[in-house]
Amino acid sequence: MRYALLFLLLLSPGLVRAQAEALENPGAVSAIQERRFRMHHELLLGVGVLPANAYYKGLVGTVGYTYHFNDTFAWQVGRGTYSYNLQTSLRRQLERDFNTSPNAVAFQDQVQWMVGSDLVWSPLYGKMAFLNSTVLHIEAFLLGGGTVVKLDRDGGFRPAVNVGLGMRLFTGKTLSLRLDVTNNAVFTGPTRVIQVPLIQFGTAFNFGATE
Amino acid sequence: MTSRSLIAALTSAALLVSPAPAAAQSASGARPTSPAPAGTATPDAGAKAPASADAPNAPAANTPAASGAPPAEAPPRAPEKVDPGVFDKALKAYFDGKPRDAAGPLYAWLQAAPKTDENYAWGQYFLARSLIDLGLTHAGASYLARIARERSNPNVLPRALDALKALTDRPHDEVMIDQQVFGALDLGFLPEETGAYAHYQQGLVDLRVGNERWANTHFAKLPETSAEASRAKFALLVTRLKQAQEPSDEIIADFLALSEEEKLTREARNEAALAVARLRYERKDFKGALEAYDRVKLPELDPGRASLYLEEAWTRYKLGELRAALGILTTLDAPSFRDEFLPDKYLLRALIYRDLCHYLPAKRAAKELTRRFADSLEAVRNREDLTQDVRLRRAANAHGGTQRAARFLEVLELEGERLGRYAGSFGDRLFSHLTKLYDLSRAEAVRVHDARLAEAVRQEADTLLRAAEQVRLMEYEVGLKLYERVKKGARVVAPEDEQMLSPTQTAYRFDGEYWNDELRSYRVRIDSRCIEETP
Repeated sequence: MRYALLFLLLLSPGLVRAQAEALENPGAVSAIQERRFRMHHELLLGVGVLPANAYYKGLVGTVGYTYHFNDTFAWQVGRGTYSYNLQTSLRRQLERDFNTSPNAVAFQDQVQWMVGSDLVWSPLYGKMAFLNSTVLHIEAFLLGGGTVVKLDRDGGFRPAVNVGLGMRLFTGKTLSLRLDVTNNAVFTGPTRVIQVPLIQFGTAFNFGATE
Repeated sequence: MTSRSLIAALTSAALLVSPAPAAAQSASGARPTSPAPAGTATPDAGAKAPASADAPNAPAANTPAASGAPPAEAPPRAPEKVDPGVFDKALKAYFDGKPRDAAGPLYAWLQAAPKTDENYAWGQYFLARSLIDLGLTHAGASYLARIARERSNPNVLPRALDALKALTDRPHDEVMIDQQVFGALDLGFLPEETGAYAHYQQGLVDLRVGNERWANTHFAKLPETSAEASRAKFALLVTRLKQAQEPSDEIIADFLALSEEEKLTREARNEAALAVARLRYERKDFKGALEAYDRVKLPELDPGRASLYLEEAWTRYKLGELRAALGILTTLDAPSFRDEFLPDKYLLRALIYRDLCHYLPAKRAAKELTRRFADSLEAVRNREDLTQDVRLRRAANAHGGTQRAARFLEVLELEGERLGRYAGSFGDRLFSHLTKLYDLSRAEAVRVHDARLAEAVRQEADTLLRAAEQVRLMEYEVGLKLYERVKKGARVVAPEDEQMLSPTQTAYRFDGEYWNDELRSYRVRIDSRCIEETP
C-alpha cells in the first residue's frame, strides 16, 4: 500500500505537467497537402555495376516497366539487364601466371544478362530542403522478386531471388531519378548459391499519373 | 474587417499596383545603341547624330567681373573652361563601359556648355545613364527629369522618358517622376509604350483629385490590350468603390475579371482577387470570399502576405471552420510573419478557443495581445509620440504610401553612402553637386515620410486599441465561463467526425518547424470541450 502511494506520488508531477500542457496548448497541428508526385506507368532506363565478383566487374544497362497500383504498392512487371563484363587484374594474373583455364568453374559465374519481376513497396514519402531554397520530394522503397540469370556457361540459365531497396528523387511529374541497390541470390547448383549485388542508377519516366 | 479598413486596403492596393518591368531596351545598365551624338568615338554611334561639341561659349564673358556688374556677396562660381573634346572622351568612356570615368567630365562639360548647345541634352542623358549605371538612380533620374522638362532635343526625349519609366519599377521620387514628368507631359509625341504609361499616370492624378471624367479621357487612349489599361480599370474600380455606398455585383464581377487578366502582373491579379474576397466578406458571402482567396496565386515557396492569411482565417471562422482557421493562425506564427503587426490574430485565436470551450487557452491568447503590445499600448495611453514606438512605426511602414516613402528614403540613404565611394573619380564639382542633391532630396523625403508616418501610426494605434478593447471583453467573458457551474446531466458534446485523409493527400505532423510550401496547409485537430445540457 505504501509503495503504491509512493508510486502515485512520484507519478503525479508528470501527469500534472502533461495535463497542463494539454490544457495550455490543445490540439495537434498537421500540414495536409495534396501529394505532389504520383506514379502510374513507369519506364526505367538505368545503368549500374555488378561490383562483387573478384574475377570480373559488370557494367550493366537495364530497362524495366513498373505498374503502380497506388502510392505505396507497385509491380515491377519486367526488367531486363545486360552486363558488359570487364575482367579484373586478378583473373588476368591467374590466367597468365598460374595457367588457370579461362573455363574454370570459378570464372563461369559471370552474369551475361538477367530478367526478372518484383513487387515494390514504398512506405516512405517525404521532402527535404536543398540549401534552404528548394524542396526536394523523395520516396524510399523495398523490392523483392524473382530473376532468371544467364551465366557465362553452357546452359547457364539459373533462378534467383532478388531483394533490395531503393530511393527515388522526383524532379517533375513525369521524371524521377532512381537509385536501386539489390542483391540476386542465384542458385547455381543444388547446394550452391552465389550473391550478385547490383548498384544501379536510373531515370524513370512516368506516364498517366493523375494530378 | 470594417468598411473603412476595406476601402483603405483597396486604395493602398490600387496605389501598389505597380507597372510591369519596362522593356529591356531601356533598363538601366543597358547601353543605347543609336542614335548617339556624332563626333564621339563610339563604335555604335547611329546615323542621326548631333554635331560635335566644339563650340562652348566663352565662359569668362558671362562672369559678373567681365560684364562689369558689381560683385555680389556670394557670386556663383564661374564655370571653368572645358576642352570641347571632353564631351567626346567622356562618351567614349561611357561606351567603353566606364561610367565612372564618364560622369565627371560630362558634368564638367555640361557646366561649361550653354544650354542651347546641340549636345547639351545628350550630355545630360549620358550623365544620367552613367549615374544610373553606378547605382545612383536618384541622381540619374533628376537629370532625366530635367531633359523631360526642358524638351530641348526631340531625339533625346523619348530615350530619357523610357529610362525614367524603367526607374519607376523601384522606389523613386514620385513627385519628380510621376507627377512632374509623366503627370504633366504633352502626350502627342511619345512612343506608344511610354505614352501609355504617361496617360495612365495622368489619369491617376485626375482620379486622385476626383476628376473621373478627365481620368477616363486619358484611360480611353490606352491601348485595349496594354497592361496599363488593366491597371487603369483597377484604379477606376477602386475609385467607384470609394464612392459607392454598397459594393454592387457589377463591381465585384469587374474585379473578378481583373483577377483573371493575364496582362496584369501576378501581384496585381492577386490584389484584384483580394478585393473580390474582401467585398464578398463584407457582404457575408463567406464561401465566395474563400473562393476568391484561393485565386490568389503565390510564387513557389513564397510565404505570401500576413494580411491574406488573417483575412482567410476570419472568413473560415465565420464559416464555422474553426480548426482550419486555427491552422491558418499557426501559419501566422511562422518566422516570416513574426514582425507583422496583427493584433487581430490574438483576438481570433481567443475567439476560436472560446468557441471550442478551451477557456484557459482562450484567456492566454487574449492576454498575449496585451502582453506583446504592452509598450505600444502604454505609449498610446501616455500620449507619447507614437512615431517613436518601434512596433507601430514598423506596422505603419509596412504598407501604403508610408511604405513607399520609407523605401525611397532607404534608397536615398543607400545611394548617399554609395556616392562617397566615387568622391575621387567624380571630381570635386560633381561630387559636391551630387552631395547637395542627395542632402536636399533626403531632407524632403524625410519630411514626406514623417508626415505620412504620423498619420499611419495613428491608424495602427486605432487598430491596436480596438483589438485591445475586444480582448478585454473576451477575457471577462471567458472568466465568467471558467467558473460557470455545470448542471447535472450535462455531457461533453460528441466529437466531430474526423476528416480522413484522401488517398491523394499526405500529412506532415507539425513540430514547430515551418516550411514555406506548407504555410497554406495547416490543419488543427482539436476536440471541443463544450458541454450540452440535457433538458
